[in-house]
Amino acid sequence: MACRRGGNHKHCLSTTSPSISNCHKLPSCSSRTHNICMVSDFFYPNMGGVESHIYQLSQCLIERGHKVIIITHAYEDRKGIRYLTNGLKVYYLPLRVMYNQSTATTLFHSMPLLRYIFVRERVTIVHAHSSFSAMAHDALFHAKTMQLRTVFTDHSLFGFADVSSVLTNKLLTVSLCDTNHIICVSYTSKENTVLRATLDPKIVSVIPNAVDPTDFTPDPSRRDNSTITIVVVSRLVYRKGIDLLSGIIPDLCQKYPNLHFIVGGEGPKRIVLEEVRERYQLHDRVRLLGALEHQDVRNVLVQGHIFLNTSLTEAFCMAIVEAASCGLQVVSTKVGGIPEVLPDNLIILCDPSVKSLCNGLEKAISHLKSGSLLSPEIIHSQVKTFYTWRNVAERTEKVYDRVAGEIVLPMGKRLDRLISHCGPVTGCIFALLSVISFLFLMFLRWLTPDYLIDAAIDATGPYGAWTQQYFRKKRETLNSNS
Amino acid sequence: MPSVQLDQTPRQRWQKVLYKKQPFADNYVDQSFLEKLRKNVHARKYLYWAVVFESGVMIQQLCSVCVFVVIWWYMDMGLLAPQWLFGAGLVSSLIGYVFFDAIDSGAGRNESGRTRWADLKSSVVFVAFTYGFSPVLKTLTESISTDTIYAMSAFMLLGHLIFYDYGANAAIVSSTLSLNMAIFASVCLASRLPRSLHAFVMVTFAIQIFALWPMLQKKLKAQTPHCYVVITFLSAVSALVGLLTISSVGAVLFALLLVSISCLCPYCLIRLQLFKNNIHGPWDEAEIKEDLSKFLM
Repeated sequence: MACRRGGNHKHCLSTTSPSISNCHKLPSCSSRTHNICMVSDFFYPNMGGVESHIYQLSQCLIERGHKVIIITHAYEDRKGIRYLTNGLKVYYLPLRVMYNQSTATTLFHSMPLLRYIFVRERVTIVHAHSSFSAMAHDALFHAKTMQLRTVFTDHSLFGFADVSSVLTNKLLTVSLCDTNHIICVSYTSKENTVLRATLDPKIVSVIPNAVDPTDFTPDPSRRDNSTITIVVVSRLVYRKGIDLLSGIIPDLCQKYPNLHFIVGGEGPKRIVLEEVRERYQLHDRVRLLGALEHQDVRNVLVQGHIFLNTSLTEAFCMAIVEAASCGLQVVSTKVGGIPEVLPDNLIILCDPSVKSLCNGLEKAISHLKSGSLLSPEIIHSQVKTFYTWRNVAERTEKVYDRVAGEIVLPMGKRLDRLISHCGPVTGCIFALLSVISFLFLMFLRWLTPDYLIDAAIDATGPYGAWTQQYFRKKRETLNSNS
Repeated sequence: MPSVQLDQTPRQRWQKVLYKKQPFADNYVDQSFLEKLRKNVHARKYLYWAVVFESGVMIQQLCSVCVFVVIWWYMDMGLLAPQWLFGAGLVSSLIGYVFFDAIDSGAGRNESGRTRWADLKSSVVFVAFTYGFSPVLKTLTESISTDTIYAMSAFMLLGHLIFYDYGANAAIVSSTLSLNMAIFASVCLASRLPRSLHAFVMVTFAIQIFALWPMLQKKLKAQTPHCYVVITFLSAVSALVGLLTISSVGAVLFALLLVSISCLCPYCLIRLQLFKNNIHGPWDEAEIKEDLSKFLM
């Protein structure tokens, strides 16, 4: 909590006029800057797609001159405020984790803390991530009560068949019905979200995930060319199709004596793979590496010739982009948003069955043997142009600009919208809850008025202490070099 | 504004791919939006009379429970001698046994490879043991109050109806549990009868009506549907007549129950089926259709 009270600087910061923002030119700074607050239950030290998305996007937005802060819940002893690279400020809030790293939601208990942060950091746009995160939905709810603009990014696909998805879809409808803009990671994901939350497709943008191509470079010298190696990197859970993998391994190992498998990842389905390895005596040909650190993934990928993805559902699938970026031939199931991700010459798409996946792999192996496979460098140079975080940030910035020009629904209209959009029963319940939350906000404002809350020193953004220093130094070194 | 479609020249068609930079706004909605949406893929169209026919299984089971309770009541009142019931049961069992093989002309027997000698042995063993233990059954629940026994029997028979295998593929179905509950109820009720011979006959009758009779029914339904309809009808009539001799109100209520199950419920099912709105699309989690256990055997 190093920066809890910036008393000395408060006045000079809060009185700086917007004209000062032009006194130093930031690289590719857009016409207007925003104070963005990313909210999600999922952030480092937890690892995964959502986490890296938030981090990379924030970094690129900082580079573009915006002020970005992140709010997540405390991870064991990691609580309070932390600063990451380039002054990215992260609030780890002391909220109780309920299930799967997601906090419990009561819609109200997090309001005092979140309101304090929103006011302190002068947030203008609240950007929530992942529909699994209760904190993200809470923050959206409070932000709307506080008349802030809201953006939501959905990272996952959901079915419509079972009871649990019916319930979560209803909650998503409530949460998104008055959110300004929604971002999805693929067109399939957009269709899914529009249906789940009964949205107008015009307020849903598609901005794919990205991969840092410099982290995933090919290295053909690491391959063992006397054998053929198939790499699988995923969590070993049912949704990733590990049961299919347990059928593919014995089938192909019997056909090709010089075929090897490397499996990276951990999970409850590991036991299935171990049984298969035991049953068919494949200990020297199937390596199970266990959980991988993010920086080790590339070193595992470059050891293989073919990358196999057996997911049963996937909104975007970063893994296949990472593998293609490392120059591997990708074989994958044709589910969710996967067909949109890579062009046909880089991926072999199969039906989610053992037979079809084996045929796909055999096709890849025969290409490899005949030498008609593209070289890793060519694949890498092609893939690295597809998805970059700078491009993602640029497109997200457009969404922010658009949202900043919109109005937040005033209380009366918000209630109308809830009741008309979410059905008579749910709509009325949540309309009542939003009235209570409004009264709660009034109470909090009476308890600690906004003007009594200290404004924090900006680390990033146009007046950011950190960015000014950093970019000035960078510019100076550039000038001195030239 | 980014919301406005940037593309003024509609020559370039929009493609559903993420890797290309396309001259469309990120929130562009193409005509092909949601074209892969499918509705009610797995929804079945039901025919009214087919559903009524299928409801026969339930009718039969309700009637079996009703007949069982009526017979018990007659025994308890002393209106039915146990010898008579035993004799009738033995005769109908023999007829059923003959029919059981005659219906599919011995195909089922050849498949299972069970000999008649084995059948005879197990029935003799069963009858002998039940007869030997009937004094124990009679005194087993003496210390328990009669009201408790009645309540327990009612719950057990209800449980029998709930867990019975009506042919649905659901987690709640358990024919073992269902049969056990019915036998437990019969033991409870038998212990309230006047003598141990009564108890013996009651438990034997329970086995016949709850274990053997459904097996024959299943075969009848598969092989001779017309015959099955007649038998369902007959058992409904006999249950109703039996109930009528005890309580006319009960008979009317039971008749209403049977009618609503066999006629009203199928009608509701078919009407509600029209409101079914099940959405499918490329976002659905794929199902693994193959049997993967063979790789581990």
